[in-house]
Amino acid sequence: MAKIGEFELLVLLALLRQAEEPYANRVREDLEANADRRVTRGALYRTLDRLCEKGMVEWELEPSSTPERGGHPMRRLRITDEGLQAVRESHAVLMRFFDGLDPVLES
Amino acid sequence: MRAAPPRVAERLLTLVLGSSEEARTILGDLAEDHARAVRERGKLAAAGWYWKEALSLAVSTSAVGLARGFRVGRGVAQDSRYAVRAIRRDPAFFVFATLIIGLGVGASTAVFSVVSPLLLLPLPMEEPDRLVLVENEAGQGLSGVTSRTSNLRDFRERARTFEAMAGFNAFSGQGSYNMVGTGSPERLSGFEVTHDFLDVLGVAPALGRDFTFEEGDFLGYHADGEARGGPNAVMLTHGFWVRRFGADPAVVGSSLRLNDHPHEVVGVLPPSFDFSSVFAPAQPVDILLPWPITDETDGWGNTTTIVGRLRAGAGVGAAQAELESIVRALQEEQPDRWGLGARVSPLQARIAQPYRPGMLLLVAAAGLLMLIVCVNLSNMLLARSPRRSREMAIRRTMGATRGRLVRQLLLESTLVALSGSIIGLAVAWAAVRHVAGTSGLDVPLLGAVDVDGLALAFSVFVALLTGLAVGAAPALKVGDGDEAEALSGSSRGSTAGPAGRRVRELLVVTEVAMACVLLVLGGLVLRSFQSVMQVDPGFQAEGLVAWELGTSRDFDGLPALMAYYDDIIASVEAVPGVSSVGLVDALPMGRNRTWGSRVVGKEYADDQGESFFPHIVDHRYLSTMEILLVKGRLFTADDNSEGAPVAIVNETAARTMFPGGVDAAIGQKIDMRSEVEIVGIVADVKHRALELVPDNEVYFPMSQVPDFGTLDLVVRSDLPPSVLAASVGTAVAAVDPELPTEDYRTMTSVVERAVSSRRLTLQLLVAFAGSALLLAALGIYAVLSYSVTERTKEIGIRKALGESAGEIRRGLVMRTIGLAVAGIVLGGLTALAGGRTLESLLFGVEPTDPVTFGAMVAIVLGVAFLAALVPAIRASRTDSATALRSAG
Repeated sequence: MAKIGEFELLVLLALLRQAEEPYANRVREDLEANADRRVTRGALYRTLDRLCEKGMVEWELEPSSTPERGGHPMRRLRITDEGLQAVRESHAVLMRFFDGLDPVLES
Repeated sequence: MRAAPPRVAERLLTLVLGSSEEARTILGDLAEDHARAVRERGKLAAAGWYWKEALSLAVSTSAVGLARGFRVGRGVAQDSRYAVRAIRRDPAFFVFATLIIGLGVGASTAVFSVVSPLLLLPLPMEEPDRLVLVENEAGQGLSGVTSRTSNLRDFRERARTFEAMAGFNAFSGQGSYNMVGTGSPERLSGFEVTHDFLDVLGVAPALGRDFTFEEGDFLGYHADGEARGGPNAVMLTHGFWVRRFGADPAVVGSSLRLNDHPHEVVGVLPPSFDFSSVFAPAQPVDILLPWPITDETDGWGNTTTIVGRLRAGAGVGAAQAELESIVRALQEEQPDRWGLGARVSPLQARIAQPYRPGMLLLVAAAGLLMLIVCVNLSNMLLARSPRRSREMAIRRTMGATRGRLVRQLLLESTLVALSGSIIGLAVAWAAVRHVAGTSGLDVPLLGAVDVDGLALAFSVFVALLTGLAVGAAPALKVGDGDEAEALSGSSRGSTAGPAGRRVRELLVVTEVAMACVLLVLGGLVLRSFQSVMQVDPGFQAEGLVAWELGTSRDFDGLPALMAYYDDIIASVEAVPGVSSVGLVDALPMGRNRTWGSRVVGKEYADDQGESFFPHIVDHRYLSTMEILLVKGRLFTADDNSEGAPVAIVNETAARTMFPGGVDAAIGQKIDMRSEVEIVGIVADVKHRALELVPDNEVYFPMSQVPDFGTLDLVVRSDLPPSVLAASVGTAVAAVDPELPTEDYRTMTSVVERAVSSRRLTLQLLVAFAGSALLLAALGIYAVLSYSVTERTKEIGIRKALGESAGEIRRGLVMRTIGLAVAGIVLGGLTALAGGRTLESLLFGVEPTDPVTFGAMVAIVLGVAFLAALVPAIRASRTDSATALRSAG
């Protein structure tokens, strides 16, 4: 957990959960629907920028594919090996800390 | 059609996010969600949603961007909290600052938005910079700028600098079309255009197709009802299609019954092309019909406004030179031909030309107001800065770096500027909505007015810059080691004390000066407006109501036609409360056609003659309008087809057309198709506009010159127009139930429309001048009340030394008056120097008008006095002991 914050972790997980390489709207929808939180656009784009700076996410520009985008391009997001590594580490840390707490949490 | 996201919001975002590909992906994401919102919640809710998202994104991005600019990522949240706290501590300042920024941003955005479609944005056509207007020689009225259709035909054939040429019948607004058989009968206003008109402009129909060549050949009907020439067709304007047919696409291909003949609806114009707002402002246009280029239409004289598309690379000068040589060649080939002439000018510049000075004046005024807002803002911030310096010093002693302090102040300024801009956006939106929704404004392209995102961004930027520049001063001033001094509570910051006061007083003087300039501008325009309104139009507009009687009946000869109108008149005259009734084919300030003729027995050069505005009237018209008889007699019922041909001229025509002038005009003859004797002279009527010199006018009895399309029924009555309308409508329907009568105009509204663009300029300028005055008063008040607070100690000492409250009060008020006088002198001189540029907008008033300048001086002095009074009274009530203690 040292390298990334909770919201960053959620964003990375959301990226992994998509069937094909997603763009920001898909990530946002997933987070809003399944992580049960309100995601403002500004926060999401900033987090993506930060993750990119940390080398955990990269993207490819893709020309506009649907008329609905008004001719604007799209960012296809991809998690890097480094990002995947960070997720694994976070997962391990969480697992270690949750371990043995079941009686407390279920009571 | 895809519903696009709100343009202004998108532009605002581009401004904040930049135009990199990455930034555009964000716009794309938003656009996609917007499209979904449109599907799920409708256009309006989606637009609201988009604005909300865009604003929140813009605010959070700029706040973060600002923080990055100072290379500090942390502490922003804390600083924002400080900023909000600072605002809460001084809500009055925050509210004032927000409001004045809102005022400035709103006013300048509104003005730029109104001006830009006419002066800045390209016309809603393809490659509009290649479009030109080909006018006839300069002259009076529409006939002066329009051409015969043979000119269009020959120019088209010979001119090589043009890719294509087309035209429309400039007088077609004067014919109207009764639509029956599709719902309730309605009178439509249509314009006749050549079949390739839209093509030349590069406008494609939104639905259906353009006119075909064959349809362009349509020429009316034979007496037996058979169409002559091609099939008759009609295109609908977008507005009419939506209004009347609920935007039903099935109407294309169907048939409309216009003036008793079926017309096929071939297409619908796109919403972006509003014929009326470009070519015929304030005239509603429902339909377009074909305008044939034939010998028959050529015989109708100067009728056609010619629009040409230059070949790529061809300039206006080359086109002008070529057309001139074509005109010369044609004149040589056909020495008898008249009405040849060509003057080429770029279409957009030509359309905007009459409105340019007024628009530029508004732009200058809005700019000035924005400047005043900035000065006022600086002033308020400076006045606050001694207190802020203290706060900053405390925070520095607690370990805050200067960067942090600057950042906090910048955040505060940004917050104020942004919230002011939101108010400004609302102001601009309301103003623009008001202007675009005002029908009857005689200014082109107002329908296309929308809040201009670029102007908004620019105004916001200026306000932001001012806020940033001045707002950061207190933090920068607290240099290293100055904390103790700032904290000691003495008033020796650099904006406190005499030096600081001088800066602020200088700002007040500037502000007063600029307000003076705006007051003089507003005053001059107001006085011009008053002079225009005082012009005697030559008829009594009060109590007159007009109906357009556009019958589509075919009459069996002149007697039947006259009997029809006699019946209508008799029926309307019988309505209780109607005092008199008349008929005319060209009301003042309405139709704009000229005829030519010669006075019998007067010498003329070959192609010379008299030109005048003709009015075809019944014998009751002149007395109903209360147009004064100067000499001779009015028409009587006996001036009919059996009587000798007669006419009545106005004084100007009597003076200029006939040798011997007014005294000799009666009994002279002019050459129409036969010789017509002048039997009377009536007073001049302002036919084109109130502020223009009167023109030659000639009245003909309708039964002798039945050369009219539609007639206007004028009714004089003391009844309120709405009451009168109902009973006159019933009376007309009793004679002809198919004649639409819902549309009536009071003659006062006709006069009103003629001054509408002047009134718009006036309203905006007066609003600006008023705001400027208010801001200047606020500025004076703020400076004085801060300086009173600041000088409490000094005042206390002076009181202790025996100065009376009255003396202290007088001293302060006099000092303020001194500032105001300095501002008045500065502003007055500027206004005197700048007034000359206004001359073309003024009427009946000199740019140096002493009344305007006098009023300005009185108003500014009065306001300065009032603004000074409250702080002065407060100062004079200062109790010396408390003052000395608290300031010690």
